[in-house]
Formats: sequence, C-alpha cells, structure tokens
Amino acid sequence: MENEFFLNPALHFEPPSASIMATWHSLSAAMDIQIQGTEQSQDCFFSSNADQSVHFDSALSSMVSSPAASANNVSNDSFVIRELIGKLGNIGNNSANNSCYSTPLNSPPKQLSLPMTDHLVKENLPSLGKSMPLNSCVAEFSADPGFAERAARFSRFGSRSFNGRTGQLGLNNTEFQKKPNLLMGNGNQNLPRVCSSPSLKAQGSQTGAQENKNSSPLQDSQEESTISEQNPNGDSNSRKRKAVSRGKKEPPSSSPSANATKVGEANDNSKAKRSKPNEDNGNGNGNGPVKAEDETQKSSADKTNAKPPEPPKDYIHVRARRGQATDSHSLAERVRREKISERMKLLQDLVPGCNKVTGKALMLDEIINYVQSLQRQVEFLSMKLASVNTRMDASMDSLFSKDIFQSNNNLPHPIFPLDSSASAFYGQQPQQNPALHSNISNGTVTQCSVDPIDTALCQSLSMQLLPLNGFSESVAQYPNFGEDDLQTIVQMGLGQNPSRETALQPQSFHGSNQIPHMKVEQ
Amino acid sequence: MSPKGVTLNTNSHKIKFARRFIRTLLRMRKNAPSSSSIEEIRKRSQRIKIAAYSSMAHAVGSRRAWSRAILFKLRNRARHHGMMRRRSMKKRVIKNDPPGDQSQTNKLRQLVPGGKAMDMCSLLEETAHYIRCLSTQVKVMQTIADHFSK
Repeated sequence: MENEFFLNPALHFEPPSASIMATWHSLSAAMDIQIQGTEQSQDCFFSSNADQSVHFDSALSSMVSSPAASANNVSNDSFVIRELIGKLGNIGNNSANNSCYSTPLNSPPKQLSLPMTDHLVKENLPSLGKSMPLNSCVAEFSADPGFAERAARFSRFGSRSFNGRTGQLGLNNTEFQKKPNLLMGNGNQNLPRVCSSPSLKAQGSQTGAQENKNSSPLQDSQEESTISEQNPNGDSNSRKRKAVSRGKKEPPSSSPSANATKVGEANDNSKAKRSKPNEDNGNGNGNGPVKAEDETQKSSADKTNAKPPEPPKDYIHVRARRGQATDSHSLAERVRREKISERMKLLQDLVPGCNKVTGKALMLDEIINYVQSLQRQVEFLSMKLASVNTRMDASMDSLFSKDIFQSNNNLPHPIFPLDSSASAFYGQQPQQNPALHSNISNGTVTQCSVDPIDTALCQSLSMQLLPLNGFSESVAQYPNFGEDDLQTIVQMGLGQNPSRETALQPQSFHGSNQIPHMKVEQ
Repeated sequence: MSPKGVTLNTNSHKIKFARRFIRTLLRMRKNAPSSSSIEEIRKRSQRIKIAAYSSMAHAVGSRRAWSRAILFKLRNRARHHGMMRRRSMKKRVIKNDPPGDQSQTNKLRQLVPGGKAMDMCSLLEETAHYIRCLSTQVKVMQTIADHFSK
C-alpha cells in the first residue's frame, strides 16, 4: 500500500513542477492535506541537485516537523507536493541503479517556473502515471514515518481500489480512471497478440498482477522498465511499457512551454504504441543517461528480439515487431526466415568472394558454383592421382609421416602446405611445359599422358579447349577459389605462352593464399 | 566463428580422412596393375573419387546428414553391386529437367548428398558443413598428388 502512495504523488516529474504543483493543488485540496513546506526547503529543492542528499534530509525534516505556511506565491499544498516529488527524485538520484531517474530530475528544476497553469495540470494529469520510477524510491520512502502517513492517505490512489473511489478525488479522478483502464486494458489486449505461447501469457498475466500490486495503472512505465531490467528475459508487458516510457521520457527534457503539446503527443504516442508493441522509439530529445538507458533497453530488447528462441519453456518465444503481423503463422514464418538468413550468413563467410553479394538468389548462385567447383576439383585430383599412381612407390610411409601430418600440424599456418603445393606447381611448370612440348611434338607417347588430362579437362571442367584468352577469362571468374591446380592444368594441357602462365600464376597464388587465411579465421 | 549449427572442421577430420584415403590408395595400388590405358585410368580415377568421398564421410561419421547419405549410398552400392546390376541400370534413368526450370534450391539439393529430403534450413546447414569438408578433402588430395608428382 505504501508503494501505491509513493508512486502516485511522485508520479509525475517530467513536466515542470509547476504543473505538478497545480495538479496536486487540486488534489490535495480534496484530500485535505496539511503538509506544508518552508521556503527553505524549497530553495534546497530548487537550487541544486548536487547536494541532494543533504537537501533531502533537511527538506524531509522540515516537512515532517512543521507545516509552516510558505510565503511564496506558490500554494502550500502544491509546493509540498512538488517537494515530495523532488524528494522522490532525489532518492532516485541517491540510489545506485537508477540512472534514468536522475536526468528527468535534473532537468526540470532548471526549467521550473513558478507560475502554473491549470490547463497544463489537466493535460499532465493523465500522464502522471508514466513518469516516475519508484522501485527503489519506495523502499527508501517507506522508512520515513511522515511519508507513511501520507502513504496511508494517498493509498486511495491505489489501482485496485482506485476505480472504486471516484467520489473522493473529484474531477481529476475520472481522468485517472480512464488512464488505468486504458493502460490495463491495452496491456491485457496486447498480451494475446504478442505471446506465442501460453507460458508467455502466464508471465504476462503475472506481470500484470504485479503491476497492479506495485502501482497504480498510472504508474510509470519506467518502473516497469526497472522490472524489465530485472527480468531481461522477458516480460512482454514490461517491454511494452518500456516503449511507452521512452516516449514519456522525451518531455522531461523539454521546455515547459512546449511541454503541453509534447505531453499530449506522448500520450497519443503511448496509446499508439500500446496498441502495437514498440521496439523503436525515436528519442528526439534526451539527455545522455536517458538515451543511454534507452539504448541499453533497446539493445536488450533487440537482443532478445534477435534471438527469438529464448525458451524458458519448450515453446519458441517470438516477439512481434512493430508494424508486423502477429498471428502465429506469420510468426513461425518469420522465425523460419530468420533461421535461413542466419545460415546464409554462415555460408557467406564460407564461400570466398561472397561479401559483396547480397540477396538470397545471388548467394545461392555463388554457393552452387562453389560447391560445383569443389567437386570438380575433387574429380580432377582423383584423375591426377590415378594417372600419377603409376609413379607411386613405397614412399607411402614417408607420405604418411611427412606430408599429411605436416599439413595437419601446420593448420594454424595453413599457408605452408599450399605454399609447398603451389611452389611445387611452380617448379613443375617449367619442367612440364617443355615436357609437354616435347610430348606433343612426339605425338604418340604424349597421347597417353596428355589426353587423359585433356579429356578430364573437358569433362570435369566442362570447358572447351579455347585459346588461352578464354581460359584466362573463365579462370579469372574464380580468382579466389585458388584453382592454381586448374591453371596449371590449363597450362599443362595447352602448353602455351609461358608469359601468360606466369602472369596467371601470381594471381592464383594470391588467390590460394587468401583461402587459407579465410579458413583460419574461422 | 562457430555458430550453433555448424561445428568446426577440426584437424581430426583431416587426419582421419587422410589416413583412410591413403590406405585406400595403397590398397588400390596393390590390387590393380599400374596400367596407363585411358580406360583404366578413368576407372581408377572414378574409384579414387569414390574412395575420397567415402573416406571423408567415414571421417565425419554419422553426425551429419550428408555423410550419412553418402555412407548409406555406399552400403547400398556394395550390396547391390554384384547382385542387381540390371536394376541399378534401370535406376539410372536421369530426369531430363530443362536446365532453365531448375530452381536454385533444387540444384543445391542435387549437389549436396542427401539434400533432396531436407528442408531449406537444414539444407543450408548441411551445405555449410559439406563445403568445409569438401575443401579439406581437396587440400589433402592436393597435397598427396603434389607429393606424388614430385
């Protein structure tokens, strides 16, 4: 019950306390509150937020001890209420975990203007519930005996009993009533749309009950933002209210004159946002800490949204984002699409040269090409092994011991095996080219060695034996695939321009070097 | 990077594959005479290719759908190789889809072993792992070929 009290009077800090004063003026008149502050405490409140703790204590004592009428033009009641809110804000500042609270508190005192207007009051009244954060405040306030008194009195503002006690508060009460209904109604309505599981609904109802318990429905979503901070994994309700609170945080930093419109906007925004769960809320204004907290909240919301399978239970919890359909089919569809896009990103890292390619179709093309080229390479290498088998000796043991395990050991430096292979190819070419030339010139003997390779080329590479231009073009299409073996085969098969070959070799060499780097980075 | 679905292709795959492959090559060497006729070379290359894929699949084990598909295919082949040649000939009827109509996913399904019976999501996952293993295979084979051609 005390909670409700503390939350209610301290509800509103965002508009200048002038409006607060007017508001509470009317309310307090009805409630017959005799609390009065002193000018001294007012100065403390208004002057500086730096020494808040000191002022807080002094102000409290002054408030509790004697209700001396202030000689200001400000009415006593409203002043006191302003003070109350100031103290609540100070408590918020004192507490460790409420960075967001400090900023709205810091800003308004500078903008305070003593003259107040009733229209501001009326407009601001509905938004009262949205401002102050009070989880921590509540705890500290409860220690104060004076506030306990007022708690008892203000407890009539409590949400559960709130709707019942219309007569006590007069006109403004109706506004209060509307808002909680709106809030709770929308909150409850939003629950089934967003939840993709009964467990979430249960959670949502729990949080709904929790909200009822802790505060009036006017209560600020900032408080729920604290709840959401405490439960990062997933109160849908709290996240929704967080979105509302972000809208509400905008006004505090603005000037009082513009506040009316802004608060009106914020109200509309909040309503609109309540109808759809909101993820992105443009923070036009914003002090640094407010923005920081918004961003952290947003990032946490984004994180949780980015990984929809966040399972407290066996269901996959998906969050419907703003502007998106919320029925189960589209949600499942979206989950599937996100999974697929995730896998495509993986593949993008695997397939070299795919960083610039965007879009599923192009990526699939690249992937298909790459897999085909790899399979062709396997086929070609097997052909090569088959033809080379003739020269296989008992060097198998040496092969076992040396090469494979060397390449394995060099996995952190995979460039070495490829270096050796590439250099081997380099070394081979001058040897093989004259050999091929001689073979070709001989004719008969060469048929055995050259033809299988040529046929293999034709079959596996599905390339015709074009002039080297064509080959260079087609090879250049896959510069990063490290098909240095292909190039060497091309050169071996054609046995043409050594200059072109040397020109192509560095390209392939660099290409082959790129691949191991990429693979090591994984 | 090791996202949840695709495991890292560690050294173990490489070593296992290399061992198996070389053992198979040795066996082939012993069994078949080293002839240089084109047909022989082609047959041998085909066998070597199958040996490469099978040793890779064995190295990966049954963890992956594509490796399971390869192993299954191999076992069926071994079973029916002697007995049901006629049937296998019949089964080799290739569907002549006009190449333009083939969608990309279908192409991918044909490329990745066992890809015909997978949904898109797992197909992509299998493709990623398959690409990794294929590249490992290519590297090892290249090293071996390079060693022999020295």
